[in-house]
Amino acid sequence: MKKIALFCSAGMSTSLLVTKMQKAAEAKGIEVSIDAYPEATMEKELDNVDAVLIGPQIKYLLKKLKKMCDEKGVPISVINTMDYGMMDGEKVLNQALKMME
Amino acid sequence: MSKMMDSIEEKLMPIAEKLATNRYLLAIRDGFMLAMPLLIIGAMSLLFAYLPITGYDTFMAKLFGASWMDFFMVPYHATMAIMTVFVILGISNSLSKHYKIEGMSTAVISLTGFLILTPFFTMFTAEGSKIAVKVGGVIPMEWISSKGLFVGMLSAILATEIVRFVINKGWVIKMPDGVPPTVAKSFSSLIPAAITIIIFNFVRLGFTFTSYETIHNFIFTVLQLPLTSLGDSLGATLVANFFIGLFWSFGISGGDVVQSVMSPIWIALSGDNLTAFQAGLALPHIITQQFNSIYLWIGGGGATLGLCLLLLFKCKSQQCKKIGKLAILPGIFGINEPIIFGLPIVLNPIMLIPFILTPLILAVVTYICMSTGIVPRPNGVIIPWTTPPIIGGYLISGIRGALLQAVELVISLFIYLPFITVVDRTYCEQEKAYAEAELAETLKE
Repeated sequence: MKKIALFCSAGMSTSLLVTKMQKAAEAKGIEVSIDAYPEATMEKELDNVDAVLIGPQIKYLLKKLKKMCDEKGVPISVINTMDYGMMDGEKVLNQALKMME
Repeated sequence: MSKMMDSIEEKLMPIAEKLATNRYLLAIRDGFMLAMPLLIIGAMSLLFAYLPITGYDTFMAKLFGASWMDFFMVPYHATMAIMTVFVILGISNSLSKHYKIEGMSTAVISLTGFLILTPFFTMFTAEGSKIAVKVGGVIPMEWISSKGLFVGMLSAILATEIVRFVINKGWVIKMPDGVPPTVAKSFSSLIPAAITIIIFNFVRLGFTFTSYETIHNFIFTVLQLPLTSLGDSLGATLVANFFIGLFWSFGISGGDVVQSVMSPIWIALSGDNLTAFQAGLALPHIITQQFNSIYLWIGGGGATLGLCLLLLFKCKSQQCKKIGKLAILPGIFGINEPIIFGLPIVLNPIMLIPFILTPLILAVVTYICMSTGIVPRPNGVIIPWTTPPIIGGYLISGIRGALLQAVELVISLFIYLPFITVVDRTYCEQEKAYAEAELAETLKE
């Protein structure tokens, strides 16, 4: 099963998005595991992860986090600001699925 | 306008990145993160020992005996009252991980270094006597409480740097082949530890020749006291909160960035108040960690809970209503990314004005209420920043704190009102135009 990890400063607002993404995945019949974590713990959460998405509020950390992800060969990208605000699970899920293709 | 925004963003991003990736600030943040659950538990148990209800004390004494308070005071003393210990371990462990050296053993070496700098005696004045007696064989709680925080942070960083230096130089005991690796490992931290202890011991010795006698007295007087009294001022609070708003304006989590600098000071101030609260003395500070997280950030940075209510009950556009519905529940717990990115507030010149202004106005209102004594100062109890309003105010300043939060909610509502009305009207027009265009489209078909 594919694994998507979401990161933001405390892992709280992204966990909101996770439930919406899980619902979207269920509706589409896609089996995927999605979890949210605080950014500080990224290094130990990266194993077996297929895609990393970060909240737009920690975009300023992208350089540092990308280095970590590159070492493990995991693709990383910033969640679209508007989709994040509207907590649009389906669009963010599509963004993640595209990254894993 | 957008050109100016772009150039501000260009300047802010590197500042945020620098602060957030500075290895020392990062380690200090991790140190406090390690201590935080213990601080919350300790502060809450103190609250249970001193619940602000008349008759509570005698009721509990009748029920559980005269020493009922111990049940709550012992956990307080084992957590909050000795917080510097956990902060040291956390900082050193985090910094070690950054340098890719053994975290656990380095953290213990750091703690030892700190203890070397700490006097193992206290001055005790017996009841009825006026002469202080020197009592040995103790580690004074004074210096492992929030009062020792700055020496703790410095010790953790210095000791970790020494250990790293020694390891990088290759000054470790090497065992011949054939010695089991575990045995060899047990010797590997011997030299780094010895060198660290020697250096710290010289620092201790050096200070005995000064009028300060210990580095604790020195750092507390020349660094911690000035920094915390600066942090205790309304001016510094306004500046800090202005920057939080400014960072958020560009989608940067401003609370995190600013707190990476301010947290040690704000938590030290909370610690001071809690110590006074427990001793039954007047609370020394108005500004604390909770002054900010409970009174200024109602519903999250920018005090957006009032705005949330406006979105839900006042706005007419679908966009606003939808965001309101999404944001109200997380908002009660101080999480407001849906509003910040969804409304949006980020890069929205109209909404940025109340977003930056509201916490500043609330800061002035709260400060006035507390300095005039209308509302009690924060008791220093550290509660999670996710504690919903009203409950939060009650826990840190009693019933009048809860009322103040309700008043603040109303104030924030009125500040946001004119701005959100403009935004709502624009959205309504857009939605109407969009619906008409769609209707025309279907009619054509």
